[in-house]
Amino acid sequence: MTSLEDLRRINARCIHCRACQYAYSGEPDREGRDEEYTGMLQGCPAGIYFGWEGYFNSGKQWMARAFLNNELPASQELLEVAEACTTCGMCETQCPNYIDTVHVTEELRAAVIEAGVEPLPKHAKFRDMVHNEDMRNPYNEARSDRTKWAQEKYAENIDKDVKIGYFVGCTGAYRQQHVADKTASILKKLGVDFTIISDEVCCGSPILRTGQKAVFKEVMEKNLETFKDFDLLLFSCAGCYKTIRNDYPRVSGKPLPFKTRHTVEYVYDLLKEGKLKINKPYNKKVTWHDPCHSIRHVGIAIEKDILEKSHNWLLDSRAAEKAKEEHYEIPRVVLKAIPGLELIEMYRIKGDSFCCGAGGGVKAQFPDMALSTAKERLREAASTGADILMTSCPFCITNFNDGIKALKKEEEETGKDLSGVGSKLKVVELLEVLDELL
Amino acid sequence: MVEYNKVTDEVVKKLTNICGEKYVTTSEPLRHSYMARGIMGLEAVVPEVIVRPASAEEVSKILIVANENLSPVTPAAGGLSGGFALPAIEPGGIYMDMTRMDKMEVDTENRVMVVEPGVRSGDAWRIFKTKYPDWAPPIPDGAPPAATVLGDAIERGFSLVTGVYGPQADMIMGMQIVLPTGEIFHTGSWALPGAKPFYRWGVGPNPDGLFLGSQGSMGIITKCAIKMVPHPHYKTVVAYGGESWDDIVKPAWEISRHELGIAERTVMVQGGNYELVMTRWPKENVPIDYDFYKKIGVDKKWMNYECWAWSQEELDETLKGIDKIYKDYEVREKRSTPKQELHPKQVASRLKKPNKIAVPYSLWQAGFLFITWYCPWLESSKMMEEYCAAMADHGFPETMWVASIDHARQAIVMPILCFDWTEPGIMDKIREFNLETTKSFLKKGWLNYRPDPFVHAPQTFSQAKEYYKMLVKFRKVLDPNLILHPGRLAIPWESVTDLPNPTKE
Repeated sequence: MTSLEDLRRINARCIHCRACQYAYSGEPDREGRDEEYTGMLQGCPAGIYFGWEGYFNSGKQWMARAFLNNELPASQELLEVAEACTTCGMCETQCPNYIDTVHVTEELRAAVIEAGVEPLPKHAKFRDMVHNEDMRNPYNEARSDRTKWAQEKYAENIDKDVKIGYFVGCTGAYRQQHVADKTASILKKLGVDFTIISDEVCCGSPILRTGQKAVFKEVMEKNLETFKDFDLLLFSCAGCYKTIRNDYPRVSGKPLPFKTRHTVEYVYDLLKEGKLKINKPYNKKVTWHDPCHSIRHVGIAIEKDILEKSHNWLLDSRAAEKAKEEHYEIPRVVLKAIPGLELIEMYRIKGDSFCCGAGGGVKAQFPDMALSTAKERLREAASTGADILMTSCPFCITNFNDGIKALKKEEEETGKDLSGVGSKLKVVELLEVLDELL
Repeated sequence: MVEYNKVTDEVVKKLTNICGEKYVTTSEPLRHSYMARGIMGLEAVVPEVIVRPASAEEVSKILIVANENLSPVTPAAGGLSGGFALPAIEPGGIYMDMTRMDKMEVDTENRVMVVEPGVRSGDAWRIFKTKYPDWAPPIPDGAPPAATVLGDAIERGFSLVTGVYGPQADMIMGMQIVLPTGEIFHTGSWALPGAKPFYRWGVGPNPDGLFLGSQGSMGIITKCAIKMVPHPHYKTVVAYGGESWDDIVKPAWEISRHELGIAERTVMVQGGNYELVMTRWPKENVPIDYDFYKKIGVDKKWMNYECWAWSQEELDETLKGIDKIYKDYEVREKRSTPKQELHPKQVASRLKKPNKIAVPYSLWQAGFLFITWYCPWLESSKMMEEYCAAMADHGFPETMWVASIDHARQAIVMPILCFDWTEPGIMDKIREFNLETTKSFLKKGWLNYRPDPFVHAPQTFSQAKEYYKMLVKFRKVLDPNLILHPGRLAIPWESVTDLPNPTKE
């Protein structure tokens, strides 16, 4: 189990240069489509929304340092500032000192809570639900209903004795069952002999992000025990994927006993191996939103894994960066394999992608910030001229849809046409499209 | 020393009335979030309240409140001067976060841009790139995107064309200044209502120098008119190596003194040693033997020349001129100064502005400090030799950077002190190193660029006594209650040095 104290030397690398406040902080000459989207751009959702230095990563690093040095006590006020961050990792991409900014933020939250400060009300609520043996999910749903969505169509896949598991996640199981359904359908079409495990519990992502480590550890250990004999776990939820892939080994201190792959990555693998070809067309103008969890965080983890093993960062940093960049290409390779799909990229993409605004416990506790961030991203998506905003993450989809709803309401109330800032966009989950096309 | 008062609830209420509730905070975590110790200064004190004014008028009103309460005030925007963009002595007082004042106007006809304190390099570059591609904003070279144009200019910092145009402050055409007592005035031709900032010296005498480099201790600069530079797009970087500091310093001097010739197109001349490459990586994860760097084509020491020209012919002629000077130097001095084969990516990386090139020195251990000195260009070899020896003696890697200012009339010499913040006693070790080198350099007539109030300033001013006394007199006229960020002019003398305080003599 890591702690803020373990990150003291990492945190001490921060010189408060504030490069982390920008997307493309290392690409001042990056060409954009217009004046607004060119060169470096502000990139921190919390900093943009609140304005004060403490809401940017650059300020948080110094709050963490003050806390570590006993200059700043644990307080509700500190927790509130620290929790108002989507943990999107934009700052981590920018940092030339390779500071694990998101870990520092998450560990600061945890340290404040461990010092006796109550978690913020919404966060405590979903922690209690995940802690509850009869639920083990943050949606106040019965644990016994976890595989209800699959009981008709995929009954034979439930608790099947095979080596490939589909980790559905709480959102797929209880809220976006259609995504779980489409994912299972894709796996069937691809001939994957998989199982859905009724003993699966919440991956712990919202609990870990909000600094509630004790309950996180509980569910992590439960899942690791449940899936210990598996060869491969497949995911449809970007948050579950990132948490199990990146955080379980870090927090448990042990390598995962199984491989992990997001379903989009699994499709990519088959396309690259020449084992899959998509023939049906999707004749639409699409822009792609990179989910922070499955794209940026996994990319950064790939880069840092290479560097961790390296004795010569000067030579190996380029290879590490290349591996990270290759990861960012995965959804693009899949999208380009779809006939008729016209991909028009937004300006801030890949490692510099602007967050949807939902992550890190923000959607529940800071809904206004989440909505404002979604609108900023929708505006960027609309600027491409695309009709479809495609992504592959349940939280991004929910938050974007909430943003569009708010824009439509504003249109009704004011009579203004807000299509230029995204009111007419349609948010689509890539997995749903893949199921239609395969 | 002035006995300042603590910021009271009543003061906060007054500040809120000026700026609005949304832009004033006493939140303890938020006050800590502005802290920085490093880059250029290690000492910093947590402010008591943060305000974010939107205009010079608000700044003026805040200063009046600060005078009434006798609270110290520290203005900052980019804050990249590390500790010295923060209060240095207790109580921390009012910290003025100037980032909301971020307007920029560009006048291509008169080749001047007007910036408020919050205009950051990254934003200025983006706007110029799309709207004024034939012009470049005078942003600091080597500073990250959050560095501000105004901050760099008023600190007499380093710009992307310093090799030709001199320190950024030389490009200032006029300033709007809020005096500590709240009056707002303009310098240069701007002093005349309705006049453009076209003539820096105005009707004269011009007081600019009192405010430039004062770290905000004479007045708060809320607007600055500054020259833009042409941005020709035939650009490249060439580099030459050498074994000794003289091998890079002497040819650079010969090139740079070709004023109205090749030197005009050589906008940036900067160099260093192989440690400058090495210490950008973690100590445990990079070779520390020179052999490795030799193999990958890094000379022990080298100098870069960044050239801008209006045509390929002009660029080629400039490069030819530089190369000839090096070849002649090799023959005449019997030295080897090979031209480096730079990969196009290396060239592109060196041409990139703004960039993050100065940031990664924290990777070596977990912290770093830039210490900057100025000296006549040809004396820089001697300074670098002495500095490197002192760094080795104190157990620091010998990371050294040097650059030409104004056709190599001056050198900026900057050791980058890479250290581990978490090491017990490290602050004392750095101070000891700083004191030893400062004493020696002052004897040679070299100047610290940004004297810290704990080592450089008392050492310097105890020798430049009359100059210090005069500055203190000016300051008392402008700031009778001494409320503005005391910076180097409010040295906590007796607590940092045994040297006699010139103002008490």
